[in-house]
Amino acid sequence: MLKNLRFYFKLYFKITSQYIKARMQYRVDFLISIIGIIFTNLIGIVFLWVLSLSIPSIGKWEIDHLLFLYGFSLLAVTPLQLFFDHIWILRYRLQEGDFIKYYLKPLNSLFYYVSEVFDLKGLGQLGFSIVIIIYSSIKIGFEWTFLSTIIFILLFFSASLIMISLMIIAASAGFWITNSYSILAFIFNFKDFSKYPLSIFDGMFKFFFTFVIPIGFVAFYPTTLLIFPEDIDLTIILSPFFGVGLFILAYSIWKKGMNNWSGTGT
Amino acid sequence: MTIIELNNLTKYFKVLKRREGLIGTIKDLFKPKHEVVKAVDNISMKIDQGEIVGFVGPNGAGKSTTIKMLIGVLKPTSGDLAIYNYLPYKQRKDYVKNIGVVIGNRTMLWWDLAVIESFKLLKEIYQISDKDYEQNLEIYNQFFNLSALYSTPVRKLSLGQKMLCEIAAAFLHNPKLIFLDEPTIGLDVAVKEKVRKLIIDLNKIKKTTILLTTHDIGDIEELCKRIILIDNGKLIYDGDIKKFNLIFGAYRTLTLELGEIDDIPIESINEEISDTFKPIEPIILKKKEEIWLTLTINQDDTKLIDILNFLMKKFSVKDIKIEEVELERVIKEVYAGGLK
Repeated sequence: MLKNLRFYFKLYFKITSQYIKARMQYRVDFLISIIGIIFTNLIGIVFLWVLSLSIPSIGKWEIDHLLFLYGFSLLAVTPLQLFFDHIWILRYRLQEGDFIKYYLKPLNSLFYYVSEVFDLKGLGQLGFSIVIIIYSSIKIGFEWTFLSTIIFILLFFSASLIMISLMIIAASAGFWITNSYSILAFIFNFKDFSKYPLSIFDGMFKFFFTFVIPIGFVAFYPTTLLIFPEDIDLTIILSPFFGVGLFILAYSIWKKGMNNWSGTGT
Repeated sequence: MTIIELNNLTKYFKVLKRREGLIGTIKDLFKPKHEVVKAVDNISMKIDQGEIVGFVGPNGAGKSTTIKMLIGVLKPTSGDLAIYNYLPYKQRKDYVKNIGVVIGNRTMLWWDLAVIESFKLLKEIYQISDKDYEQNLEIYNQFFNLSALYSTPVRKLSLGQKMLCEIAAAFLHNPKLIFLDEPTIGLDVAVKEKVRKLIIDLNKIKKTTILLTTHDIGDIEELCKRIILIDNGKLIYDGDIKKFNLIFGAYRTLTLELGEIDDIPIESINEEISDTFKPIEPIILKKKEEIWLTLTINQDDTKLIDILNFLMKKFSVKDIKIEEVELERVIKEVYAGGLK
């Protein structure tokens, strides 16, 4: 098991370093996409700021708290961006039949599939989200103790796993239906809801974002645990398990999809 | 030693039977009607170590479905399947260590990476020893001068170059069995020759078993000692290529463009040819698409060049094509008992 893990880490590193080397040949492409992702998020923050001018606070949540939430949400979707970007074009690979190659190497198929693309612009997102988190944590007086850092990392892992799992599940729909894009976009767009406190939604939506599409675990619940620990409830404690559980579910759906797919004619 | 064994292998697909029109589409949505298609129907075969076997059939015959079951992508509906004692779809990860796969119009390499980087990754994935790896690169260099392509990214290779690299990559981990699916598809004649030579040489050097899917009769004639012919999911011939060649190798189709042929009396030319050349087997003469005249000639019987001369004297020939016999014709012959 451990040997296996080392093998995959080493292999991932080798594939990705080659991939980055090849990608770097298109430097302008790389720079534009990084600038693009930073601007998109700057606009998001300006929007938050404008919002705070007319609505200074949502319950306890003031602008700096919202910024922290925003940063956490952005950070939580970064691993998806960096390591799982290939999932977006799964439907093309399936439709055109290229997907057959992922059966033919002695590797874990999901690993082999996602290892082929490393999205460099995710690095811009990573840097940006870290800056926001550090800035806002200073503003709200969040203390980075040993314990709070550990909890932060744990919550971050679980939040990313939830986002990754949701996207794997959505993309896996492509194994059964021809065009899974609408499902993929539908799920992905929910991530935008994770940037706002769930307390602005009423009971039904809150239930939906907690148990149906568990986007609340991507940022709202983890952030609440970090900055308003007095509001803690059972759902938040469940958060790390939710990530792992959902990933196991996503992986088994992927596996099932692979068994179901029969390829194209040729 | 038998390494591949199929017994009554069968694959059914359940497909939606689409109804016509808007109302039909709506009906399909709510009450879909399914139809069972037998893609592969009771195929049995045995293949020994070191053989090059041609797996042949027209489009839609069930070749791909069979191959997909053999490489572990599809699960058979029924029947037994064992390759090196593996059950491919069940023991996928362990099984694929032992095989190599090349699919004509797809790449198994890393699209953006240089060829040699792809090879290095394969070395890592299959955990190929330094010795074996160096040895294989040496062979590729010595026989095929492949190193000239090493620094080129895969996506920049020409179709022919890519195919050579794909085949080299498939042999890299010294698999005992290689599947080649249409390796010469889309290639021109000179490159086809190169690819075939690579396959023959590697088979000789490494004693690898090769299962070759193709509908190019040329591939089969040059590469295989044995062919397996399937049509409509059923095995219709499995045997020596020599017998096969004896019957079909000598046939050529001669196509002539004669301009207007409406007023040319086919029957009388046919009689004239028969009288002049006295072939044992009658030469088939046909009009094709208004301006073409096609003749299927058995070269053991009659020299193609003589017939050509004969016709050139009679008509003003604008264009000439000489082709090997088509697979469809071969299959018709097999049904008619041509190989019995």
